[in-house]
Amino acid sequence: MKKAIRDKLLLGWFWVSGLLILVILLAIIIYLIWRGGPFINSQFILESPRGFPLGTEGGIFPAIKGTLWLILLALVVSFVPGLLTAIYLSEYGRSGRLAEIINLLVQSMAGIPSIIIGLFVYAFGVVTLGWGISLLAGGLALAIMIFPVIVVSSRDALLAVDENYRLVANSLGVSKSYTLYRVILPRAAAGITAGLLLSLGYAAGATAPIMVTAAAVIASSSGALLEPVMALPYHLYILFNEHLSLNYAYATALVLVSLVLLLNILALLLNSLQERMSKQ
Amino acid sequence: MNAVELIDFNAYYGSKAVLQNINVEFSPNSITAIIGPSGCGKTTLLRSINRTAEMERGFKSQGDIRVLGKSIKEVRNVSALRRQVGMVYQTPVALPLSIRENVLFGPRYYGVKNRSDLDAITEKSLRQVALWDEVKDRLKRPAAQLSGGQKQRLAIARALAVEPRVLLLDEPCSSLDPASTGLIEDLLTQLAEELCIIIVTHNLFQARRIANETAFIMDGRLIEKAPTQKLFASPDKPETRGFVSGLFG
Repeated sequence: MKKAIRDKLLLGWFWVSGLLILVILLAIIIYLIWRGGPFINSQFILESPRGFPLGTEGGIFPAIKGTLWLILLALVVSFVPGLLTAIYLSEYGRSGRLAEIINLLVQSMAGIPSIIIGLFVYAFGVVTLGWGISLLAGGLALAIMIFPVIVVSSRDALLAVDENYRLVANSLGVSKSYTLYRVILPRAAAGITAGLLLSLGYAAGATAPIMVTAAAVIASSSGALLEPVMALPYHLYILFNEHLSLNYAYATALVLVSLVLLLNILALLLNSLQERMSKQ
Repeated sequence: MNAVELIDFNAYYGSKAVLQNINVEFSPNSITAIIGPSGCGKTTLLRSINRTAEMERGFKSQGDIRVLGKSIKEVRNVSALRRQVGMVYQTPVALPLSIRENVLFGPRYYGVKNRSDLDAITEKSLRQVALWDEVKDRLKRPAAQLSGGQKQRLAIARALAVEPRVLLLDEPCSSLDPASTGLIEDLLTQLAEELCIIIVTHNLFQARRIANETAFIMDGRLIEKAPTQKLFASPDKPETRGFVSGLFG
């Protein structure tokens, strides 16, 4: 009797915790829609900031473009080394000494505060290599930030592929790369892509690494590598911090959250696809 | 010449000895069953022959194994050895490819490119396991759609497609229904006309039905190997008598 009550209490607690998370998330989104929603229109999305002080009128188009450029560049830079590291960890190194060390390094890398990554790229790229505040420097900082996320998510997607496939392939004498290419990678593709999307969402929202490396108050964000760009989180920070326009700050926040949410929902769909595939 | 021969073979995981001083010979064109209590080292013995055991961490071995007269320790190209020694596992595994591509998984790697050759290998291998008539109209469909028994026959076809000389089977029927088991036993008997077949089984009746010879292993030691009839009817060793009469297991 007593144990049954304890079970019920515990279950109730789980429910309350789950609900709490849902309520907080919904509250943020609803609040943003309430405060920012009315200011979102085609002009806001498709025009550049105007007015005096700058940002009090016009739109945020260059910031949207800048953020997309930044995360695209971060992905291009970190995808291949991230995936190759993951492949080494799951297929070649496994439980070896080197794999242990790499795992530890990746973990430590994930623990570096993002502002430190920003400062490092500032010192190394912006100053020493003379890139200046630029898309290139910001993309690189974000690439370093999402690299461990890509390694871990790709590694786990690869490890989730049925071990029996590797066993069968090994006993046929075929090489690991052949098995990887014909069986393992196609099987893990959905999960790997989901991890990439999640890391993109993470990069899109990051402010600290781009503040000192890439972001400008106003820029055209043309995609030129050595020019500064505008970015959604930084624009939001400026609008809010300088009390330029709270209305536009909330509207910008809504756009940013929608972008991140969209990426996460896509990732979720791909993950469930991978799960269904692995149950076949 | 013996198809497979173990000479003073010892195997260890870490410091634990799993196989001790095994001397045994497997003849070509015959089925040898390996029986013994769980954890006695049967699977390790099988996996030592195609050198997949050494992929486990901490695996060490002493002594020698010869496949078709050649020491496997001197084989530089493990891939060539594994091509000669096919293996089928307990769980029926269909690779996430079509039925046809499952069969061709090995041959494509070994460089068969010609379409008519690939077709011929597919048909021959599937006929060898009596699966051709059941699947010939849906070769391009995912192999995952097959039943457990069909998947296991497909696994055997996949192993046969690279033309091995030895076929190792690790309890291939333990997750199958009696009808599928019967089918597989029949086709193993036929395959034994061309191949050396070594099958680990928990099912003593299965050993009696299909094996020409049976080896009994206990605690990592080979207790006795004899023609199946003799091993079950009048074993030399008291341990064998105890095991085959069901006193322990």
